[in-house]
Amino acid sequence: MLKCDHCSLQVPDKTAVTDEINGEKKIFCCNGCRGVFRFISSEGLSDFYDRRESSWTPGPPDERPIEFSAFSDSLRPEGDEMEIGVVIDGIRCASCIWLIEKLMLRTDGVHYARVNYATHKALIRWDPKATDVKNVLTRIRSIGYTPKPALPGLREEEMKAQQRDLLVRFGTAAFFSMQLMLYSVALYAGYFQGIGEKTRLIFQLIAFALATPILFYSGAPFIRGSIRGIEQLSFNMDVLIVTGAGSAYFYSIYQIFAGGEVYFDTAAMIITLILLGRYIETGAKGRSSDVITRLLSLNPKEAIVVRDQGGIDSCRESAVRSTETVPISSIQVGDLVQIRPGERIPLDGVVTEGMSEVDESMLTGESKPVAKGPGSEMFCGTQNLYGSLIFHVKRTGKDTVLSQIIMTVENAQARRAPVQALTDRMIGYFVPAVLLLSLITCIIWLMYGREVERAFMNAVSVLVIACPCALGLATPLAVLIGTTRGASKGILIKGGDIIERARKIDTVVLDKTGTITQGKPRLLLYTGIGVHDDEALALAFSLERFSEHSIAKAIISAPLETAPYPVSDFTAHPGLGVSGIINGKPALLGSRAFIESAVSSELVERSIGTQIRSQEISGSTVICLLYDGSLAGVFIISDKVRHEAKESVEAMKKAGYDVMMITGDGHDTAFAVAEEIGLDKDKVMARKSPVEKAKAIKLMQTEGRVVMMVGDGINDAPALVQADVGMAMGRATDIALASADMVLMRSTLSLVPEAVRLSRKTYQVIRQNLFWAFIYNIIAIPLAVMGLLHPIFAAIAMTLSSLSVVGNSVRLKSG
Amino acid sequence: MWSVFLLIFLALCLGLAAWLIFLWAVKSGQYDDMEGPKYRMLDDDETKKNKTK
Repeated sequence: MLKCDHCSLQVPDKTAVTDEINGEKKIFCCNGCRGVFRFISSEGLSDFYDRRESSWTPGPPDERPIEFSAFSDSLRPEGDEMEIGVVIDGIRCASCIWLIEKLMLRTDGVHYARVNYATHKALIRWDPKATDVKNVLTRIRSIGYTPKPALPGLREEEMKAQQRDLLVRFGTAAFFSMQLMLYSVALYAGYFQGIGEKTRLIFQLIAFALATPILFYSGAPFIRGSIRGIEQLSFNMDVLIVTGAGSAYFYSIYQIFAGGEVYFDTAAMIITLILLGRYIETGAKGRSSDVITRLLSLNPKEAIVVRDQGGIDSCRESAVRSTETVPISSIQVGDLVQIRPGERIPLDGVVTEGMSEVDESMLTGESKPVAKGPGSEMFCGTQNLYGSLIFHVKRTGKDTVLSQIIMTVENAQARRAPVQALTDRMIGYFVPAVLLLSLITCIIWLMYGREVERAFMNAVSVLVIACPCALGLATPLAVLIGTTRGASKGILIKGGDIIERARKIDTVVLDKTGTITQGKPRLLLYTGIGVHDDEALALAFSLERFSEHSIAKAIISAPLETAPYPVSDFTAHPGLGVSGIINGKPALLGSRAFIESAVSSELVERSIGTQIRSQEISGSTVICLLYDGSLAGVFIISDKVRHEAKESVEAMKKAGYDVMMITGDGHDTAFAVAEEIGLDKDKVMARKSPVEKAKAIKLMQTEGRVVMMVGDGINDAPALVQADVGMAMGRATDIALASADMVLMRSTLSLVPEAVRLSRKTYQVIRQNLFWAFIYNIIAIPLAVMGLLHPIFAAIAMTLSSLSVVGNSVRLKSG
Repeated sequence: MWSVFLLIFLALCLGLAAWLIFLWAVKSGQYDDMEGPKYRMLDDDETKKNKTK
């Protein structure tokens, strides 16, 4: 087999297209790829082939004309130039982006081209006199990438604007606070060493000028939030910030006139540090929603529906059909939809006609295309590569696997992090307590017969010292360092709320295939019965080429000496096996149960023999081939248990977790694996479909358990979402990233107990941080009550609490 | 004493300048793509590449 020099696809010698480019002989799978290669070389960009990391490159370009009208909304004039924002489909790695940017910049008239690495959104600017949108988009397409109009995506724009706003507010607060600290330190020094009245006044006035924009510009969102809070009579974080910073600010203004000490630095620091905490939080949130926006923009908006006209076409003896292009939203379950090569699959369904290969990498992470034939399941958002397919729509709109996952992620993002709830709960008690204390202070001073002004000022100073500066950093900093620590170990944790939930876990459910086992079944042994061994393999190979089941992968990865047979009438029987017609004779390949439904079990029993039965019990899967009515071959496929599985299960049991195993496989296989890793039979749940897995987890949750589910991919997606914490293992794909709460970047089971340990530790640090944030301020409150508060004490409390919080969080780094 | 006030004035000007540069950076989108630059810096300059060839 030869390899295409452009798209790296294997090509049979006979059909290969050869060409001489720049004096070198190159091999291509088709003329389309040759065209792209020629084009890239003629642009002087052949470096692309050396720099790409994966061998995957988009195949030949789409032949259909681009619908330029769809892009009219994305176009806008920018001075003398035109600008367009498009999402580019087909980008796999940094070198794809390099290629597109370089190609665009080499286009006459294009002055600016940038592709965002995270969102795959390209921004291209050109001179309308030199070129036009058609030329620009056609050039992108001629190297095999597909430009699509960027969705107006209100939420994305909104989020971007929000993030920018936050950054400007935080940056402003930070710059002014830095300046402010210079004068505050000078004032502290003045307190110890003495300072001239006039100098002190000037410094205080400068401090006032610097603190004002921080409070009223940077702090504006908190002021709005606290007004809302007070209207609803709830003492939220904003109320605490505004009372703390506001009282410090106005108290200081009074002190300038009264000739006392000022607290502008306290007011500024509270706001700056809280904004920093918020900025850290939104950064983490933004990244995962970028991925979602991209997935949504790539989905087709229209599809071709095939309709039976009722009559029978006399020539082809099939129903007369008409095709019609309709918007996705009008397609219903049961409709037949046609997919052309290169298109993305718009809805979930089952193939009824046609054979093709589909790139499912965005769902499964498998970079090799999956062969599809009648009976194979299709998932919305995956990309059809070579052949034309017709499929029966099974799920539409919000029910597709992709939408389900996207919805879960969006809900998760909207949900308030429970760790934050812990802070809010504390503040709910703290704010009224402080207000009460301040009132009591005022009353006590009045009772002792002091003047009203003195009593009032002492009451305000209680408010000044009570608000902890480091409060806003306590949670985000611990979460940031905890998740960074996790990432360096290969554990991706999606947010603070997951840390909170992971802490409570008492049950760990492990999926068998791909989690406990390696997920790569291998063909251990095969024998032909009545035919030669190799002949049996050739028959099985031919059938399994069109199935995406893991068993099929094991068979087609076996070395085959001869060419596979052509197969007609291929049908996949989910959970059982496959069937088809080879050389005019019916062939069935599948589990014993499947074969026994066609011939007597006695015959199977006689042919298989004892050696194979013992294999079946020891955890391997036995597949039988029935050809022309008689048993022709037996294949033994086994998926090895990960070598660290037993150790990790033991570690989890020791740590007090109830470890269970769940699988779609039969009981015999499940028990054998369970025994190998040291699990009792009653901890095994076998023969569960993806939906039943989710139900089983729900049942455990109603029993009061807090469940973590560990799985490896799309088959577990419902269970991952149902579990309190879903952990995806191994292949960190867009979908895994989206549906799971935690993702293990390396396929090692030992990371599972590690991840839980890290969450527990991070949560502990958050609680300690909250303690350290409050404690110094609480200690200083009696001073304020007694009327002895001084800026130095406020500064000491501020510094110590911030240092304790930062120092305590950094401890996580070594954990 | 005047030198102190002059220095204070200069310090405020420097701070203000830094703030304005920061505002410009945010407005012109310097913070929009935090992922790309680490790859872009590895891209060789074309002219250099041609020379070595």
